[in-house]
Formats: sequence, structure tokens, C-alpha cells
Amino acid sequence: MSAFIGKARVIESDICIIGSGISAAMVADRLARTTSRSIVVVEAGDDVPPLGQRYPLRERYQQYGESPWPNDHLEGYEIEGPLQSRSMQVGGLAMHWGGVTPRWSPADFRARSMFGVGTDWPISYDELEPFYQEAEELIGVAGEQGPPSMDPRSRPFPMAPIPLTYNLTLLKEWAAKSGIATWSQPVAKNSRPFDGRAQCCRNDTCFPICPTGAKYSPDFTWNRLRKTRRITLYPRTLVRKLVLHDSSKRIAAAHAVQRDAKGGGIPVEFRAKTFVVAAGYVWSSHLLLLSQSSRTPDGVANRSGTVGKYLAGHRNQQAFIALPMRMFPGMNGQHSLLSKQFMGAPAGDRYLRHDLRLWESSFARGPRLRGDDGSLLLGDEIMKDWRERTKTGVARVRAYYDVIPDRSSELTLDRSRTNAFGDPLPKLAFRDAPESAALRAYSTTTLQALFQKMARAGDGTVLQTVEDDGRGWQDHPAGGCRMGDDPATSVVDKWGRTHDHENLFVVGAPNCVSGSCANATLTFCALSLRSAREIGRTM
Amino acid sequence: MHPLSRRTFLTTLAAALPAAAFVRSAHAAAIDDLASSPDTLRALGETVLPAELGRAGSAAAVADFQRWVANYRENAELLHGYGTSTLSRSGPTPATRWMIQLDALDATARRSGARSFDALPLDRRRAIVRAELDSVKADRLSPVGRAPHVALALLSHWYASADATDRCYDARILKESCRPLASSGRKPLPLAGVRA
Repeated sequence: MSAFIGKARVIESDICIIGSGISAAMVADRLARTTSRSIVVVEAGDDVPPLGQRYPLRERYQQYGESPWPNDHLEGYEIEGPLQSRSMQVGGLAMHWGGVTPRWSPADFRARSMFGVGTDWPISYDELEPFYQEAEELIGVAGEQGPPSMDPRSRPFPMAPIPLTYNLTLLKEWAAKSGIATWSQPVAKNSRPFDGRAQCCRNDTCFPICPTGAKYSPDFTWNRLRKTRRITLYPRTLVRKLVLHDSSKRIAAAHAVQRDAKGGGIPVEFRAKTFVVAAGYVWSSHLLLLSQSSRTPDGVANRSGTVGKYLAGHRNQQAFIALPMRMFPGMNGQHSLLSKQFMGAPAGDRYLRHDLRLWESSFARGPRLRGDDGSLLLGDEIMKDWRERTKTGVARVRAYYDVIPDRSSELTLDRSRTNAFGDPLPKLAFRDAPESAALRAYSTTTLQALFQKMARAGDGTVLQTVEDDGRGWQDHPAGGCRMGDDPATSVVDKWGRTHDHENLFVVGAPNCVSGSCANATLTFCALSLRSAREIGRTM
Repeated sequence: MHPLSRRTFLTTLAAALPAAAFVRSAHAAAIDDLASSPDTLRALGETVLPAELGRAGSAAAVADFQRWVANYRENAELLHGYGTSTLSRSGPTPATRWMIQLDALDATARRSGARSFDALPLDRRRAIVRAELDSVKADRLSPVGRAPHVALALLSHWYASADATDRCYDARILKESCRPLASSGRKPLPLAGVRA
């Protein structure tokens, strides 16, 4: 229902979802399937180009490096700290994700109990497992069952795995020489036509754009839910503040502005029985902190003072290893092998858990302009040099390892920078807990020793090791509204409901207590579906 | 002394006064000149690209490069990376700079007594290009738009192609094209019979 009250347009619904990324899509999908409630979705960014435009957009990206998602951001959001992405659009960051969907390990949820580090989650892997399965079936995951002890699951993947390329088959044999079990990385890419979308045909630009729709992105969910009128989605509408009911601690409204092309906007007020903040690890905490009032001077849901705290993620070490085998880079370069062999109990006496992934690579095997002696190569010389150097191949090996987040790993409001509406922008800083900081050098040397061992097993050579830690960046960031049983130390309960406001949920990435050591999106989806079940059950 | 061409005039004006209209005009003039007098660029292609492409293959690679230049967009939003909120946009058209470099190749050829760069034998053309690339301190194949010299841009453009990769590996990899998923497990077929 929509009406004008005073100057503001007022829109009422049973459920108001703030954000339209993959977590929001999971919540909306489940609630649309399992309830008859009216659902409104509010997104600050624009709609995305339709599937039919994605080949030409991809072409511009390939040829010129142009963004295949033009205007996918709000102007004036240059912030301090390592923001994962400027992307803010219908579908969120999952419009350009790589589609990699491993489950996390049972050990991720019990690090304190099992290893004496970090904080246990209030839920176990087993409690989340049915929602992992539901997420895999919703978005369409193609995967291979790994050894059950490393890769527990109750039912098969909905699709057969993406086949290993010729190159990956060679690398699998090579990894086995080091005693490492690997299998086809689970991905949200269709190994067969699925849910009205095409089979993957190895275009190999999954990140940043799949031109065929073989990779899941949330726009497909939104298109379906809009077409069947199960939701109403408001793009270009920035929620600025959550407002409490006058006489209770329930959230009464979300105050927003429908942005116009000139940088201004029209005020809009969303009223709902239940509010679901599904805006990712940055914008969820940011909105709660912005929602200050005399009754909530530190923002809503922040009685514990932990909104924006405990930002989590993982760090990586990777190596490029030259191997005496002929490979053919470009066959399906974004697909990889996965091992969860090191995600369980640490192999040594100190805490280090990590995943392992292997790709084909053209590192140090590309065409070059100068020979080893520095001489300029022209004409046939470049091709001759290139052919000589590609008689052997290169593997890229990467390990994400678990980093225990510190309380001061945080998002705060930056009063020195504001958006077009005068709201302070967020400021981000990732910090390791002291126990992880003390383990950092050990983690690096242990992983580099593993890479050396793998290289030796294949008569190869480590060409380079790299840590991707630009400006404090951690991969697959999460946290900021961590879940817990104790309202004094957490923001939401084990269902994603805020301890302070019974009709306010925060879902997905912000709920994470820790960041594990593997890609995180499927876990965000599973958490969101679990929250959605609770929302549906209690309405 | 050669009369001041429309392109040179616009390029000079665009450099002195980088208003959008002048920059666009200079870009268009450079594209027109490339299309109407492609001999120097074609000769450059035969100088720097592998001989195995043959004249037709080299001409095709040059034509692809010309299309790349013609379709370049200034100030276009570039892909934003992870871990930063910084956005970036494409820079000024490289077409005007590259046209001046093509003119310089012709001027060097004329100083050595030839009619133009394309009239020189291959070894003398290659010597000129080597000297030019040394003068701009080129040491790697850079992204096409950031190449400091047109010879390098042409090389970068072709070597980024699926054709170049397939020739290198003598295999039908066909990178970044739509290919059957089921065949990815097999070793790519050799190019025998495919090459021109």
C-alpha cells in the first residue's frame, strides 16, 4: 500500500527488506514461497542491464577494461579503509561474483571448543546444513562430493560438477603426489540447463560478468518475484534511518530517499511489521549506526556496543609454481580444484586452518617484449620466445587461512565524510585478534613450506609467493552484527533477530562470528534462509 | 615544409586546450586519417607481428586494431577492483598520440631517403621501430590503451587475442569463447589444417 502523508510518500507492507543482494534474494524467495505476506524490497542502487545486453557489455570489458556494470555505484562514496567493492545495485555484489560456493567446515563454528581460539558460533554446522542444501538448490550449485570426512553433506549437489579441464586433471594428479586430495570446486554455474538458465559454455569471464546467465546472480530471483508480483522492489531508494515506534522498542519505519538524477531525492517512509536489513557487511552496520535518536544514541540494535565490530575475513597466501608439464591456459581458467584437507584440525601444534585451491595459470608464461638478456623482441622473435617458455606449465595455488577478528576490527561512522544527504560515511579497519596476529608469521612460513613441498613433488619450482593484503584488506569480509546468545556481546540471536528489537532482523554476512577460510557467499545464503524461516514462522 | 594537417592542427589544439569538443575532433580526425591512409600502420604490422600471419593475417590484425582505436571511449567507467572504494575512468584517446608516432615513422624514413616507412625493406623498418621503442623505454607488453608507442599497442592488441594464444600453443583453445563444457576434459586439438 502506498500513500502520501505530509511530504513523504508512505509505503506499507508486512515485510520490508533493505538491500537487494544475494542475502536479500534468499530471504525474499523463501518468504514469497512459504508465506502470503506482502514484501517490499528497497535498494539504493539502480536496476542492472538485462541479460540480453551482457555480451556487448562483456566485449567492452574485454577490449577496454570498462566496467560491465556501468553506474553500479552511488557517487560520493569514497570511504576510508578497504571497502570490498563500490558496487551498489539491484543484485548487489553477487552481480559480479565468481560464483564459487564451498560450504564452510564444521570446525569453523567451534573454533573455541575445538582449538581454544576465537569464539564459538551459537549454531553448529549441522544446524546450518539443511540451509546450505536449500541455498545450493535455489541458486543451482554444480559440485563434486569430496571425501565425506572433509566435506560432510546430507544430500547430493543439485547438479553434477563442472568437468575438470585437461589442465586441472593434470594438476589433480600432481597434488595427489603430495598426498593432497582435490576435487572440482563447487560453483553456482550450470553444468546443465537449470531453472530456466543456460548451461555454462566456458566463456570464462564469470568474474566480472557471465554473458549467458549460466552463473547465478540475484537479478534472476528478482525478475521472477517481480514478474509474479510477489514482491515490490524499489530501486534508487536509499534507506537513511530506522525509526523506533513511539511506545515500544519495535522498529516503526525506515526513512528513505528516492534518489533523483540531480543528486537530490524525494522522501519515502517504509512501514512494515518486520524489517530485514540485508545490506551486506558494510551497509547493514552502517544503517544501524546511522539510526541514532535520543532513545538510541549509539544507533539501533546497539545495546552491546558491538554494531560494526568484529569485522571478519580471511587472508591468503598464494604461489605460482612452474611444473614440467604442458598445459593449455584458457580452457576454463576460472574453474579450479578445491581441497578441504586443511580446514579441519590444524596439522601442526599451532592454530592454522586453510583451504587450498589450484588453477591453471599463465603467470610468467605470457608473451613478452624483452628476452632474458634484455634485448627487444620483434616479429617472429616474440612468438618463438613465447613458444619456448610455454613448453612447461604453471600452477596457481592459493590458501585462504582463518583470521580471528578483533573487537577493534570495525566499521565506524566517519564524521569527516558525508554523502549527498549529509549522512556520515563508514570508515573500515580490519584488525587481527592478538592470537591471530601472533600466528601471522607462522601461517606464512607454514603455507610457503607447503607450496615448496608441492613443487618438489612435481619436480617443479616456486616462481613467486604472494600475500594479497593490500591496505589491510581481508577476503570475503563479513561481521559487524555478529550473532550470539549473549545480548551483551552480540547484536543478533542465532536466527539473525536483533536482541534489542523483536521485529528487526539483520541477515547474511554481518551475522558471521568468524570468516572461516573459504569463500563465504554460500554461507551468507544459508544463514539468510535460516533467518527467513524464523521470520516466516513468527509472523 | 608540409602544410599543417587538420589532424595535427586539432591535436595541437587539443593538447593546448583540452576541451572535450577539441579532443573529440582530434580523435575523429586521427581515426579518419588511419582509415584513409593505412599504409604506415599496415607496414608497421608486417614489421612487428609474426611473419607466419602472412600479409592477409597481418592486415586482418591491423584492421582489428583500427577498430579498437575507432571504438575507444574516453572517460568511460572502468572495472572497479576489490578492496578499495576508488573508481577510475579511461584516459584521453591514444589515437592522436599514435598518429603522431606513425607520422614520425614516415618522417624518419624520409630522412633516410625513402618515400615513406612502408617503402623501406623490412630490416630497415625494424631498425627504426627498435630505435623508437628504445626511446620510449618500452620493456613490456602493456594494456593496449596505455602503450607508450603505437607499435607496442599493435603488438599488445594482437598478442591478447585468442588467435595468438592458439598459435603459441598450436592448439584450438579458443579462450574466452563459448565452447562445449563436455569437451573441456580433452587435450585441445592441434591447429594443423586450421592455419592460413
